[in-house]
Amino acid sequence: MAGNYSFRYTLDNYINLLTFCFQLNLTHPKIIMDELTNDLKKKLIEVLNLTDITPEEINENEQLVGGDLGIDSIDVLEMVVMVEKEYGVVINNKDIGEKVFSTLAALTDYIRENSPKLAS
Amino acid sequence: MSSKKKTVYIAGIGIISPLGCGADATEQSLRKNSSAIAPLSANIFPIHTPPPLLVGQVANLTESPLPRTHRLTIAAAQQAMKGQSHPPDAVVLGTTTGGILTTENLLIESEKDPLKYRHHGLTTVAEELADALHCTGPALTVSTACSSGSVAISMALKMLQSGEAEWVLAGGADSLCRLTYFGFHSLQLVDPEGSRPLDKDRKGMSVAEGAGLLLLTTVKPRQPMGQILGCGLTCDAHHPAAPHPEGIGAFQAIRNAINSAGINARAIDYINLHGTGTPDNDLAESKAIRAVFANPPPLSSIKGATGHSLAASGAIEAVIAAICIQEGFLPGNTGHRTPDPELHIKPIISPVRQPVSTILSNSFGFGGNNACLLISKNGTVTAPTNISAQAPLTIVGKACITGAGHTRSSLETFSKLAVIGGTLDSKIISENLPVRKVRRLKRFSRIALALAAAAVEDSGLKESPQSVFMGSGWGALSETYDFIDKLQSSDEKFPSPIDFVGSVHNSAAGQIAIMHGARGANITCSGGDHSFEQALLAADSFLDEDSPSAFVLGVDEFHKQFSPLFDPSITTDTLPADGGGGFYLLRQAIPGRVSIQLTCYQKQTEDILESLIAGLGGTESLQNDCGMILAGIPAAFAHQGEEQLHQFMEKTGLDIPVIHYRMFTGEFASASSVAAVIAAQLLEDGVVDSSKKILVLGFGKYVTAMEFAIQ
Repeated sequence: MAGNYSFRYTLDNYINLLTFCFQLNLTHPKIIMDELTNDLKKKLIEVLNLTDITPEEINENEQLVGGDLGIDSIDVLEMVVMVEKEYGVVINNKDIGEKVFSTLAALTDYIRENSPKLAS
Repeated sequence: MSSKKKTVYIAGIGIISPLGCGADATEQSLRKNSSAIAPLSANIFPIHTPPPLLVGQVANLTESPLPRTHRLTIAAAQQAMKGQSHPPDAVVLGTTTGGILTTENLLIESEKDPLKYRHHGLTTVAEELADALHCTGPALTVSTACSSGSVAISMALKMLQSGEAEWVLAGGADSLCRLTYFGFHSLQLVDPEGSRPLDKDRKGMSVAEGAGLLLLTTVKPRQPMGQILGCGLTCDAHHPAAPHPEGIGAFQAIRNAINSAGINARAIDYINLHGTGTPDNDLAESKAIRAVFANPPPLSSIKGATGHSLAASGAIEAVIAAICIQEGFLPGNTGHRTPDPELHIKPIISPVRQPVSTILSNSFGFGGNNACLLISKNGTVTAPTNISAQAPLTIVGKACITGAGHTRSSLETFSKLAVIGGTLDSKIISENLPVRKVRRLKRFSRIALALAAAAVEDSGLKESPQSVFMGSGWGALSETYDFIDKLQSSDEKFPSPIDFVGSVHNSAAGQIAIMHGARGANITCSGGDHSFEQALLAADSFLDEDSPSAFVLGVDEFHKQFSPLFDPSITTDTLPADGGGGFYLLRQAIPGRVSIQLTCYQKQTEDILESLIAGLGGTESLQNDCGMILAGIPAAFAHQGEEQLHQFMEKTGLDIPVIHYRMFTGEFASASSVAAVIAAQLLEDGVVDSSKKILVLGFGKYVTAMEFAIQ
């Protein structure tokens, strides 16, 4: 799964974004986290075709794999692809995978800490 | 009236694999115990995401315009048929790739000419082989992932034991291609260091290619290379891509093979493991073996030497079993370095010179599809068992899906002689399927699951069928397209695991098994416009008193890009049509219910019509008994098919209604499954007199006949 990931944001764009967010007080870590969580919920629904629920109905602290959503090993692998494609984070270690996909909150944390795409 | 189950001999073998071409080269490689697994060579296909993974590839394959899988098959067939003066009565081939490597190349070039894709279909491999050998009987294709080769040999075994055929060429073939190379990689099932079956540090498989064929016969050769004693087929009904962790289905398949061979487990003196090198397979397989054998005989996997050639693997390993029996040696478990204490079984590390007489060969595929073969030097000394005359296959439940809707809507619309062809809205197809359980499934699997559920409901029976026999011309086109599309558009970086698993030809049949707990034989066939007839033939071969119930269905989906490219009967102007028909069948005589029987499956030849008429009981019998004909003439064979039908009517002098059913169902490969449901309904409704039969005839390159009658 490892491929050459190209960093999309230029420095100018980054500074502009930060300035804008600063002005609107949107750089608070909790707000960035919530945006990421919401974004992930939407992607989860899309990638796993969970057509019968809305992002609001997903509890980020509930068990992800083997939980009520019926997510299994194939879904996890599909999410691994999505995470690398959308956030540039590679998860190809089974032990890391098990921790990272335990809950949506754990996944959000891991992406936030490891993604070259997001503000840190 | 019963007859003796016939002994099945191996009269010829053919093999081409990463170990080399031919039995001698294979034996020499195995004796050296070295691995042929190496980085993918760019001349098979170039990749954009180096470094290349380790694979098992065949060197120096003869060039020809045919796709790679076809060439591998013919190379093996030339060896297996050497010295034979007449063609086999039938060909049965297992394959998962068909012409897809060529298709991938054409798609990359944005090729739009359908003629260039004419070897894409799985069925074309067996058909090219049959043409090359001048075989005029059925050319059957099974596609059950990694067990395909063994399933094909099992089907040949049944056809021979029953006396239906005397000579059958059977085996499996697959080529490397991007779909499987990137697909297994997306599932994180590939070992970056090359597969190390049963090793403590094993990380997965190495995808490979090859072909293995056996010429099997009930006419004892002067120097038989061995016998096929028995087979066992089961389905885990557990998960689309992982085996049952306790190896329950595998255990049952081994037991069924032993029982069908009529031997004691102690008679087995070597086990050729499926042993792919994935953590899950090797663990589950070891549990199954320990559950059968208190003290397992010597065992090993050769996939550390060859890699995993998918559909070819079961057949390659059956050929290797015959070689071992002939030459008196057991292959080592190449690649094994550190024993895994969790397995509690220890493979032979290096080749051993030792006479060997009876070999168990395991093949366990995606969808929990398990097939075990027993190959022996001499067979047993006990008297051959009797096979009783088979009860008919009775329809106890049925369902269809067409553009006009589910069963009732389709049949009501048809009864007004209105067109039912079209593509039913996906939401309507899925309306009775549990949303969460089918969320990953696309159109093809949803149609299949809806049919299976409706057939059970129609039966009113509490128990679901135990086996599944499915026919499809083109399989899961949506997933195949989406996988290739996502692969190409992401420059090979982001292949989709869900689409790969869904694209496997037998994924739908596997889903039916999971939903209904069907743990018996699970076979998906692909025979172009005769795919449903192939599924029926498979059902007829395997259903017996011990295993009497089955789903038998035909399904095809219309795909906007792929259908006009692949199916010669569909152009960009053709009305899109898809769907299928499904049955709950019992091997049991039930007076008053409709029986279904396949009476003919032959290639179009000069005397095909005489053969067809004779098979249907002769002219007089037809004139007395036949009440209606539903004729399927695919658009691609319009002229030829019309001529065949015309001649049939002339020769038989029949003056009965003939319905060209494709005018109603639309053009799709398994449309005959819908015709079959219509035929049963017409008899049940008394539209055709209950003393008469309805024939569903298929025309074109092959001619097929199904008979429906009230018992």
